[in-house]
Amino acid sequence: MPQKSDSRAYRCPWCGHGSDAGGTSCPRCGAPVDVRLATTDSGWAELPPIRDMARIQFGQSFCQIEGKYVPVADFNLSAGDGVYFTHHLLLWKDEQVQISNMPLAKGWKRLFAGLPLIMTEAKGPGRIAFSKDAAGELIALPLDAGQSVDVREHVFMIATNQVTYDWFQSGIWFTTQNGKDTETHYPIGMFMDRFTAAGSAPGLLLLHGNGNVFVRNLQPGQSIVIKPTALLFKDPTVSMNLHLEYPGKMYGTFQPWGRWSSRYVWLHLRGPGRVAVQSHFEKMEDPGFNIRNSEPMTTTRQW
Amino acid sequence: MDPLQRIACTWCGAQSPAGATSCVTCGAPLDVKNLVSDSGWREAPRLRDMSELKFGASTCQVEGEIVPVAEITLGGTDSIFFEHHVLLWKDDTVRMDVMPLQGGIKRALAGMPFVVSIASGQGRVAFSRDAAGELVMLPLHPGMEMDVREHAFLLCSHTVNYSYTRIAGLRNILFGGQGMFMDRFIAQNAPGLLVLHGYGNVFERRLAAGESIILEPGAFLYKDASVTMNVETQKLTTGFFGGVGMNLARMTGPGRLGIQSMYHHHHTE
Repeated sequence: MPQKSDSRAYRCPWCGHGSDAGGTSCPRCGAPVDVRLATTDSGWAELPPIRDMARIQFGQSFCQIEGKYVPVADFNLSAGDGVYFTHHLLLWKDEQVQISNMPLAKGWKRLFAGLPLIMTEAKGPGRIAFSKDAAGELIALPLDAGQSVDVREHVFMIATNQVTYDWFQSGIWFTTQNGKDTETHYPIGMFMDRFTAAGSAPGLLLLHGNGNVFVRNLQPGQSIVIKPTALLFKDPTVSMNLHLEYPGKMYGTFQPWGRWSSRYVWLHLRGPGRVAVQSHFEKMEDPGFNIRNSEPMTTTRQW
Repeated sequence: MDPLQRIACTWCGAQSPAGATSCVTCGAPLDVKNLVSDSGWREAPRLRDMSELKFGASTCQVEGEIVPVAEITLGGTDSIFFEHHVLLWKDDTVRMDVMPLQGGIKRALAGMPFVVSIASGQGRVAFSRDAAGELVMLPLHPGMEMDVREHAFLLCSHTVNYSYTRIAGLRNILFGGQGMFMDRFIAQNAPGLLVLHGYGNVFERRLAAGESIILEPGAFLYKDASVTMNVETQKLTTGFFGGVGMNLARMTGPGRLGIQSMYHHHHTE
């Protein structure tokens, strides 16, 4: 529950930022002021929906969130402020907004991994707006100086230029073999994005979650298993490994299509730190065939 | 407050304690008027975020409004079954099994779920689907039989018998938008809960005996087993330029019929 002892002491339950509660939404992340942070019985906190037309401030600029089902992030950039984004998210812009390519290292690796090869930068002054091609929610993640967050590929929308962008190997993989063909599968992608507010200034990161978004804070050692394609972001302190589960009672002992026909491929997450999932996840097509090899930390459970 | 006082749910008919804001059996808001269109379609109740309902010794909490999540807290010896791919997350402690299904080869050939999973044991498990829509809570009482469009069911309590019914008639199979089979859920000796996911918004109407209505086949979501479905072809001609045939499903009562507003369109002939 938000604390609101006086108008100067309001602390946003979502991002923890203190602000003047006289407004209708947190100026830093757009969460409605006075919202009761809806938490499920199991401990997932539902992302507070950003109110239509809520404004988020960063530097001397503003971002206004417009719409409910496929929200638009409408930036009013001041001179000197800038954002970067994946180029296919651009909805419209003023003519005066300067657009340029942002240089990215390891282009070939990104190309092979299916990551966006071109990251685009926009510089103020002027207005520029972004949206994605799916019903869902915008997630505003303010980053304090030095803070990082790990994001699953293709979830990222926009970051302010105080935030640095890097990526790392997810380490979540397994291989299957069909005859002489060996195939490697990456349930959350080969790479994950890492965003860090590197300098002394805080930054803002905007993500898009398909459907509804839920976040929980895992305690040290606390763990949960989730569908890999439901993962949105996690704190770097949250460790992850592949978890394979084989249900029991498959027609007694007879398993007509082998062990893969009913197995679950999970992502096992262990705290401490935040974890976020989206309710509309991409369907995971099981590649079939028995798993030959997998990342070294893989755990398996046969019921 | 009088403990004997009860509020009847307009969606499922169950009684909830006075003062409850949502039905304990199906989660429908109790303080919101039933929405019925002028043409007689009743809008499925939009479940409030974080609504809770009970079945057996377990609870179901509905979370989110764009692609809602059904989060189940399993209690006692309860279990639930569901299609393999709708699992979102679960506690480590929840046991996973596979339900033995009859007619497995037929089901596989017809594109129906071949593997239906069972979750049991103490713990929590959550489900969601791959599109914006609504969760439809259908409490089943002993003797009730429901037919459901294939792949539309999200989960069902273990007290309900799960089978399939073959769709009669080649035209119905080819143009009915259902394939060869529909899921059939039968509550035999004990009540149970069936949770469906409808794309877009969901509407329901109760057809009187002999009353019929014509549907886009892709919009069909569920029906009482007593409602029959027959595909009819509507010829659309354009003079010299020939014409096309539009396939529509005639649904005839008596019984309930549920449709979804974001339907899968089936091509004309």
